[in-house]
Amino acid sequence: MDKFNEILTNHISNWNMVWFGLIFWGSVINAIAELYLVNNNSIFCYLFGFLLGVVAKIRGTWLWKI
Amino acid sequence: MEDIKNIPEEFSFEKEKEIARSFSKRFQWEMILIGVGQATVWLSLWPLVINGYISLFFGSLIATICACFAYLPSHEAQHGNYSRGNPKRRWIDSFVSHFTLITIMFPHDLMRCTHMKHHAYTNNPEKDPDYDTASAKSLWEVITATQVGIKKYESIAEIFKNDNVFMKSFNKGVIIGMMYRVILLTLVVLFPLETLLLWWLPSKFGIIYLSTFFSWYPHYQADIGRYKDTKFWSHWMPRYLNHSMQLHFVHHLHPGIGHYDEPKAIEALKPFLIAREVPGAEDIPERVKYNPLIKR
Repeated sequence: MDKFNEILTNHISNWNMVWFGLIFWGSVINAIAELYLVNNNSIFCYLFGFLLGVVAKIRGTWLWKI
Repeated sequence: MEDIKNIPEEFSFEKEKEIARSFSKRFQWEMILIGVGQATVWLSLWPLVINGYISLFFGSLIATICACFAYLPSHEAQHGNYSRGNPKRRWIDSFVSHFTLITIMFPHDLMRCTHMKHHAYTNNPEKDPDYDTASAKSLWEVITATQVGIKKYESIAEIFKNDNVFMKSFNKGVIIGMMYRVILLTLVVLFPLETLLLWWLPSKFGIIYLSTFFSWYPHYQADIGRYKDTKFWSHWMPRYLNHSMQLHFVHHLHPGIGHYDEPKAIEALKPFLIAREVPGAEDIPERVKYNPLIKR
């Protein structure tokens, strides 16, 4: 159980921004696209969210760096 | 305690404590009302918005106001200011804090243990968990500091890893924090825009508001030491809109003083602060009103 917790904690610590981008921003972008676009493809919305997460992970922040 | 040998007996630390103690007894019912009230209003926004009784943008505005009111009731609980040392009332501290913090997705246990360290090591660059926001050079730096998220807490845990009591509370808080994350990510799949505008965005505004008025203004460019680590500051806002954080100085001296008793306490303690040459103490008005709190 300790080993599982350690793996889970490490995974969240390293990949939380990517998961957050994929699920959170992907869902939000998809919802906005459904409102404003006629031919919405959900996969692209979630892919865009995923990419946002990857970029944030590489940069270490969601925001502009000072 | 610094420079106590030059302080006249009538302004001794013991006498200061005695006065502070007289303001540390009242049951903080207003804070319970605010904490439980705002969280209840915030929870009720979900069915109201989802069922179309109010618009999402109006709901978001109300949620943001709720988020700005969410922390202070928890802060009183973190200091045990509801139970006042009575073990039978400790559940009130725990309940109010957990419930009110839902709006900003903060885990009570994590907030409590890090806040105690903030009091113990205020303005210490290595050990004060709030140093990142307190030392920010601009509002934008405050905003970016609030977005660091999990990494900030990893470094705090590393510093205090040998403090078992701290780590027990910290780890409990981390689990609750993860639960918040899971709930947020589940809700966003079901109700994407509602989750964004009723929870995520208001919580961000609430945390920025909190960090600006509770951490940055009172501690920015302040020193280390009991009478030096927090400063008096003035602001154009009526003090009720910044949660009277211009009085944060007295909270750091005596955290047991209830939030709504701080104006009276600071009036009573003014001669003690002047005797200790606290910067700005001479400018404390005889009667603390709305604004300007400190005439500077």
